Amino acid sequence: MIGAGIDAGSRAIKVALYDDERDTVVATDVLDQGVEQVALAKGLFEKLLEDNGLDRGNVSRVVGTGYGRSILDFVDSTITEITCHARGVRRVSPGARTIIEIGGQDSKLIRLNPEGAVRDFAMNDRCAAGTGRFLEMVAARLDVPLEKLGELARGSHSPAPISSMCVVFAETEIIGLLASGSAPEDIVAGVQTAIVKRVAAMAGRTMDEPVSFTGGVAMVPGMVEALQDALGRPVSVATDPQMTGAVGASLLAANR
Amino acid sequence: MNRTPEQISLHEWDRLHDDLVAAGLPQPSYGGPLSRHVPDGDLRLPRLRYDNSPAALRLWNFLLTEEDRLAAARTEGKQLVGTMKDLGTVPVMAYSSPSLVAFYPDGAWWIPCVMELSAGLLEVADSLGIDESFCPVRAMLGAFLTEAHFPIPDLLTCNVGATCDDFSAIAQRLNGLGYPILWWESPHRRAPDPGEASVELPGGFVAPEAQVAFVHDELERVRRALAHIAGRTITDAMLAEGITTANKVRSTLDELRRLAYAAEPCPMPALEMLIAEMLAIHFCSDRDECLAVLDELLAEVRSRVDAGLGALAGGAVRVFWVNPVADLRVMNMLEQAGGRICGTEYLFCHALDPIPEDLPPMEALARMALADPMTGPTADRADRICRDIGLFGSEAVVVSQIPGASHCATEGAVIRDTVGARLGIPVTEIEVPPVADAMAPTIRNRLDALLETARARRETLSATHEPVRTTT
Repeated sequence: MIGAGIDAGSRAIKVALYDDERDTVVATDVLDQGVEQVALAKGLFEKLLEDNGLDRGNVSRVVGTGYGRSILDFVDSTITEITCHARGVRRVSPGARTIIEIGGQDSKLIRLNPEGAVRDFAMNDRCAAGTGRFLEMVAARLDVPLEKLGELARGSHSPAPISSMCVVFAETEIIGLLASGSAPEDIVAGVQTAIVKRVAAMAGRTMDEPVSFTGGVAMVPGMVEALQDALGRPVSVATDPQMTGAVGASLLAANR
Repeated sequence: MNRTPEQISLHEWDRLHDDLVAAGLPQPSYGGPLSRHVPDGDLRLPRLRYDNSPAALRLWNFLLTEEDRLAAARTEGKQLVGTMKDLGTVPVMAYSSPSLVAFYPDGAWWIPCVMELSAGLLEVADSLGIDESFCPVRAMLGAFLTEAHFPIPDLLTCNVGATCDDFSAIAQRLNGLGYPILWWESPHRRAPDPGEASVELPGGFVAPEAQVAFVHDELERVRRALAHIAGRTITDAMLAEGITTANKVRSTLDELRRLAYAAEPCPMPALEMLIAEMLAIHFCSDRDECLAVLDELLAEVRSRVDAGLGALAGGAVRVFWVNPVADLRVMNMLEQAGGRICGTEYLFCHALDPIPEDLPPMEALARMALADPMTGPTADRADRICRDIGLFGSEAVVVSQIPGASHCATEGAVIRDTVGARLGIPVTEIEVPPVADAMAPTIRNRLDALLETARARRETLSATHEPVRTTT
């Protein structure tokens, strides 16, 4: 039977299908989030089933996660993304003791015990300065595609200091930096540093290794290097990091 | 009339109230259906869930009629004492004199929640330069200026020094607006130096004798001011009687907490317990009635425990809660997420400890004042939290931050690290503004994640046959 996981995030919907008998994630897919969140999630789920020659009868259970999970009226149960990311990382990076997840509108630090279960967690869901939204803002302001930010930042020799804790004010700072002639690559590098510093602050003074990086922001080039610099320790990007929560949900759906 | 304990809506309470009255339920003078408070502006009430016992009804009505009691006291010629920030000391002294009624203007911090910002108190504070970077207790400024919520007290006292910095700033602004305040100071409580004379405080901490003597002298100034407005001396004998009565309130609350937080299933919901605990510091402006209200609540809880009945489903995750919430609805939210309260530290745990009755009363009050968790290091507070977690077997901790409150900026990490290191139970921090509706999804998400983590830990411990309850 298939366990299905649906991660209804703030920026994207992710779906994963896990085949319990073959112990395999058979399919994943992602779609930009929109206004009709339930319809989008359901449509993506059904399309993924159809594309893989499956139907709802093959699915034993559907688990919803992510911020939009509570409105997914077609799922069997909901589990927070904390638990789902932990479960997903346990599969793709067994042995990881810390997860850093940076999504579109929040970031999380999840501490795991040696068995891979959640021991404790910290979340930043109040301030966009530690989230993907910050990157989106700077990409839009600089008119640079999101996927090119890392490449651009690599050319920086002097990351611009971004002092504001608030993205709205930070945008004002960026406008000021541009007006004063700062190079776009220095601004991007400065923004990356600001994000990872916010995330590093959540870790407090101790962090167990290995550290696994998940969430959509982990796919942005340059972020993992910035995170390693901020934490002063190696960080590995989880396999298909945007899908970790959905994969974890699909495993939990299959009681794995 | 037999009722199964449960949480009900305001509308359901109205129907139940009518049934109870028809069945002959005796009502206090301030009794009546809860919904009658809504036209007065208490707009939050329809959005809360309530315990369905007559004892809870009485508790709520007692709370929601404090303004009427204060107005009546003024009419009767009693002197009103507005006591600020000491959390449980000055009211014990004031109520030792029959002509004084004490209350906490700080209590106005809940008005923006209960009235869903409709009273405009925070806007008044804004206009005075005390904006949202301060604790919601700034609503107190609006309450003073509008005079719509309590009579202007005949005497205002405020505890400063080692207590909350932003409260001190708010009170200083009030003073500057022409409301004279008797300031009394608490030093930052410290451990005695080697060889330094020391005394044990209620709650178990030890402080230098010199610090207690300092607080004693400060409280003597307060006693003289109280005597001045009362028109008569407040003797040690009167204070001793006041301490004895306050201790009755505290011992009733102690038993209530031990029963409610230890029993399975949970016999009394979090919201009613929060309000009950608050009575320890302010008596809701009527000390004797406060005791009667708590006695009835205790009797209800005792009967439920004896019958094995709960207001919540069994198996809820046992949560220790730190700091009171600015939005009462969040206490309901915890229970809707599958949690229950098992232990609290609402900033005034010292006011739940008995005041020593074998000491001269002013000495006893000084020791109690210095035991205030706000006057000592946060590490002391974390110690006490760990101890109480052991007492109540809590499985998770919520540190509820109060926006703008200066102590909240630093204490969360200390408490989280201490609890995590000593007990290994999960901790989450949430920030609760006076009306948290817009933040409800994120608060709920954190609570859900915390409860999931605690449940998983419970299952693991159960599988390995380790005790689920945490001990220090």
